[in-house]
Amino acid sequence: MNQNTDRARLDAPGLWVLLCYRVPREPSAPRIAIWRKLKRLGAGQLGDGLVGLPADARTREQLEWIAEEVTEAGGSAGVWLARPATVSQERELAAAMTAARAAEYGAVAAQAAAAREAGAAARAAALRRLRGELRRITRRDYFPPAAREQARAAVETLADRGDEASAVTVPARGRP
Amino acid sequence: MRWATRAGVHIDRAACAWLIRRFIDSQAQFAFVADPAEVPDGATPFDIRGAELSHHGPDCSFETILRRYELTDPVLWRIAQIVHEADLDDQRYDAPEAAGFDVALRGLSMVFADEEVLELTGPVFDGLYEYCRRAMLLGREPG
Repeated sequence: MNQNTDRARLDAPGLWVLLCYRVPREPSAPRIAIWRKLKRLGAGQLGDGLVGLPADARTREQLEWIAEEVTEAGGSAGVWLARPATVSQERELAAAMTAARAAEYGAVAAQAAAAREAGAAARAAALRRLRGELRRITRRDYFPPAAREQARAAVETLADRGDEASAVTVPARGRP
Repeated sequence: MRWATRAGVHIDRAACAWLIRRFIDSQAQFAFVADPAEVPDGATPFDIRGAELSHHGPDCSFETILRRYELTDPVLWRIAQIVHEADLDDQRYDAPEAAGFDVALRGLSMVFADEEVLELTGPVFDGLYEYCRRAMLLGREPG
């Protein structure tokens, strides 16, 4: 399914999975939990109560679970498979999602830069934390911006400047 | 007993099938469907939208089944944390094993049919159970 959307994206709009939902304003806890989950998935905002992701088995499943959660919270939700009518409309949504990820990568790169001057222990801790953060951002990154590689490089400099052991093991993992 | 779940099994469904066969119904037969409407008559659906044995609130289906069948074995609840993080990756639990299980299950479902994935992952979950059981008894990673 992923391959289909990737291939189609070059010339025609790809397949998207949409979640249209409405959650009661109160109580706010389930509403916020749902909002957090959509944010963690990196869903693109199409309108009020309408979000979308490029369709594949995982994105479809995740939105279906959120739809279920909306229903359990006393709201209403539906999951749809759809294609944007024009390529430009798809590009607009993809650009907004890319910009959101680029900002997250930028924040990681800035934190990595700040950690470079820290002591060895703090640098190692920052490396571990920022690698995890990068992994999570990458999972919701459907249209990778250039900032991704910049952030990754910035984080890995924390390892390169570490002790000899990490200087040896990092290239051994197949880094260029 | 007949059980039904969504086709294209991933970690949660594979773990649930193992849990059902080991702890609930040793004669369990599984059907894999594309749509909740295709669940065969008399089959108990799990990890499928609208089913009782499915995601509820913060719980994944594996956790829901543990609750519904009142399985209190702490080893199973440790496995539940790993399954939860591999399935939802929401940092609710500390389960570094989850990333590996996620990749392994995704890869298996790319090259094997659902029945085969269950056959292959059954022994893996048996091993995980034993590993977690020993880790709990020892209070550290078992050798």
